[in-house]
Amino acid sequence: MIALYSSKTWTLSSYLIALVLIVPVLVMLVGGLSASTHLFVHLWQTVLPSYLENTLLLAFFVVVLTLFFGVSSAVIISTTDIVFKQQLRWLLLLPLAMPAYLVAYLYTDLFDYAGPVQRMLRHAFGWQSPNDYWFFDVRTLAGAAVMLALVLFPYLYMLTRGAFEQQDQNLIRASRLLGLTAKQSVLKVALPLARPAIAVGASLVLMETLADFATVQYFSVNTLTTAIYDTWLGYGDLGSANALASVLMLLVLFVVLAEQRSRSGLRHQSARPNVKRELIQLSVSQQIMASVFCWTLVILGFLLPLTLLIIMAVQYSDMAQLSVLLATGINSLKVSVIAATIAVLIALSLGLYQRLHSDKYRHVPKQIASFGYAIPGTVLAMAILSTLGPLDHWLNESAELFGFTAPGLILSGSLFAVILALVVRFAAIANGTIASGIKQIPQSLDYAPASLGVSLTASVAKVHLPLLKPAILMAWLLVFVEAMKELPAVLLLRPFNFETLSSQIYQLISDEMLEQGALGAILIVMFGLLPIVLLNKNKEKV
Amino acid sequence: MTALLTIQQLSITLQEKVILSSLDLSLDEGDILGLVGASGCGKTTLLNAIAGFSQLSNGRIVLDDRLLSDNCQSVPAEQRQVGMIFQDYALFPHLTVQENVAFGLSKQSKIEQGKQIEHLLLLLKLTDYRDNYAHQLSGGQQQRVAIARALAPKPKLLLLDEPFSNIDARLRNELMVEIRQLLKRFNITAIFVTHNKDEVFTFADKMAVMAEGKLLQFDSPSLICQQPNSYQVADFLQLGSWLPCRVNANCAVSLLGDFVLESNDSQQTHLIHLLVKPSQLVLNVEVNEDNIANAQVDYISVTEQGYHYYLRSLDNSTTDERMVFSKLSIYSDIALALTQRVSVRVKAHDYLFFSQAN
Repeated sequence: MIALYSSKTWTLSSYLIALVLIVPVLVMLVGGLSASTHLFVHLWQTVLPSYLENTLLLAFFVVVLTLFFGVSSAVIISTTDIVFKQQLRWLLLLPLAMPAYLVAYLYTDLFDYAGPVQRMLRHAFGWQSPNDYWFFDVRTLAGAAVMLALVLFPYLYMLTRGAFEQQDQNLIRASRLLGLTAKQSVLKVALPLARPAIAVGASLVLMETLADFATVQYFSVNTLTTAIYDTWLGYGDLGSANALASVLMLLVLFVVLAEQRSRSGLRHQSARPNVKRELIQLSVSQQIMASVFCWTLVILGFLLPLTLLIIMAVQYSDMAQLSVLLATGINSLKVSVIAATIAVLIALSLGLYQRLHSDKYRHVPKQIASFGYAIPGTVLAMAILSTLGPLDHWLNESAELFGFTAPGLILSGSLFAVILALVVRFAAIANGTIASGIKQIPQSLDYAPASLGVSLTASVAKVHLPLLKPAILMAWLLVFVEAMKELPAVLLLRPFNFETLSSQIYQLISDEMLEQGALGAILIVMFGLLPIVLLNKNKEKV
Repeated sequence: MTALLTIQQLSITLQEKVILSSLDLSLDEGDILGLVGASGCGKTTLLNAIAGFSQLSNGRIVLDDRLLSDNCQSVPAEQRQVGMIFQDYALFPHLTVQENVAFGLSKQSKIEQGKQIEHLLLLLKLTDYRDNYAHQLSGGQQQRVAIARALAPKPKLLLLDEPFSNIDARLRNELMVEIRQLLKRFNITAIFVTHNKDEVFTFADKMAVMAEGKLLQFDSPSLICQQPNSYQVADFLQLGSWLPCRVNANCAVSLLGDFVLESNDSQQTHLIHLLVKPSQLVLNVEVNEDNIANAQVDYISVTEQGYHYYLRSLDNSTTDERMVFSKLSIYSDIALALTQRVSVRVKAHDYLFFSQAN
């Protein structure tokens, strides 16, 4: 069947939304790539090679580590009879709620020369100085990779586990009947079948790694993101910052293409996923090894950092902190609520447009609008600055020309810029969540209202929106949480003296005073847990 | 009496693929039309075109003297007064049975709505389930809800897309009879799509056989059964088995004997096929000089009508490969063994010959 609704206003507004969301990136790419070749030659001769090297090395290490952590834990949870399986199933998701920079700070605090671990060792063995013993240094590129991997591996865990659970169990049974042992059938059938999902997970991890700013900044590892930040805020050199951002953007584009290619392989999912998998019986030693592996991930990625935060909060909190927390918390809430609401409205409009409109190219606006997720926050901030800055100038000049007082930087210097950045960056999450909600509505329900004499608007209001309620809630919550956590875009774009929870925590981390913001950090983690809990609940209901 | 639904020269081309080509059809008020054809023959597209979900490339559709669509204009689906029962029923999962049935009734006053719903629920034996959700109902009950919902806005035409495909085979016949009685009682004009010819024989007043976007034959089921107009129709409906014959002057020569050809219009082709129904075959197990063995048992199955055999021609019975027959279907109470040779003869009747091409 083809959809038959056709409305010019709907088409126009869909493309307009898509355009607003993509224009900043285009402006930046054009600006960056049309920058003088001198600039690129200069950058290439000075810093760019080492920045690129660091960025790529970091990405490589993180992907290798998350593949190991995420895929192994997913295989253990979905194919073996490990004890506490029901608990580990969701516990392994929790590290997602932990921002990497928090983990980085907490572990540095813990394992530094002055930290409790080394002090204890020195005390126990009577060592006097760093020359007496060797201890690993957290604040390195490898350290940053471990920190990022500890909180990013759940992406791979989640997607791989999902793929395993969606698999047609008859394929596994067939492989067993053809002579494979339970373990062989995992390796030869289940894992290869999960390959597209694993690839998607790995690309998500890659994108997050390329976008990371605070962790590498804190560890003084110079990557492209920190370079963009320093070039702009440190030297005020918009041209170079744009050029660097364009380079990073090109890297990200490759990842996006890889991700899209692997997504197209996700189709062969089963219609009979509900048959129970026969579990691999682990021997005692295997049981111990698997348990240690999984619990280590949960503890290092979530439980230990949270405990450290709580200890900090208990030791150092006071009333003054609470009032600061309240003010920044309200700022965070305000920005995130607005961004989440706008993103969901856009996602609904574009998603339903794709589903119900008769236009042949009806999927285009949503695709354009979803592109932002790939853009690292630093790059996006540069893009928005280079777009809104000139726009502001133009507005001021025209205002003066017509005899009004110049309004100042009403676009680039206000919350507008922050919210636009958040919406551009996280529209894809809302789009994806709403789209999968829409996909679950049988196609015939689009047609049934019309066959009963009910118009398009009424059918959207009475059928689609009520059915999408869970998806809408989920999409809103996901964007809300991501917006709460987002750091670099907020840091670069926020109006003067405007602090959010994440920007304040970043300042405190930079000043080595996280104790002052422990409560705020706990708050961010708690908000981050909300969608995970909800997601888990929904899964179990099904 | 003018027809309620008239379809003229209907053509639909999607992405340069012809789905329907120059289709003509008309249906009187109160008639139930069964649309059969292999999957992919365009029958669902035809339903969608009538409902307003597919754009026409050519032709026109008129319902009750109102032009619904031609190649330039199209009445929106919600204004057509055409109801539809979807293959998956498309019940709104977030609404109760009663709310589903009331969905298309917003244009009436609340009291009228209430009456109408009450009436339909009673008629379709759904009163006890009014507050249930679709997923709490059995397949048959869900279908009844879909019917009640479609009938509530009093459509002029009801479309049913493979309505019985999700129903347990044992219940299917019973349900078909029940729904047919209901439609007749309301004097509803309906078109239903199926790939199962038996459903048409049970359910429909008119039958349309489609293949590759074309209408092959359109008549009452009994007429089509007796007088299929082409090899394709008879073959798709499995009205009998095929016995190849060679044309020789006024005679059709087959391995089972010669038949006199009454008309001469099939003489231009050399090879024709005789449609043989099981009841037109006479089986002789005793093979002797009068009854020379001319077939052997190829396949045996047991049915409620006795043994069902497929016969095929004897090896080396002819040098002309085209004359060889197989899968000649026959029923008998006598038990035969596989490869047993028998003698079989075609009773004299109004022979139906078809040539295979077109």
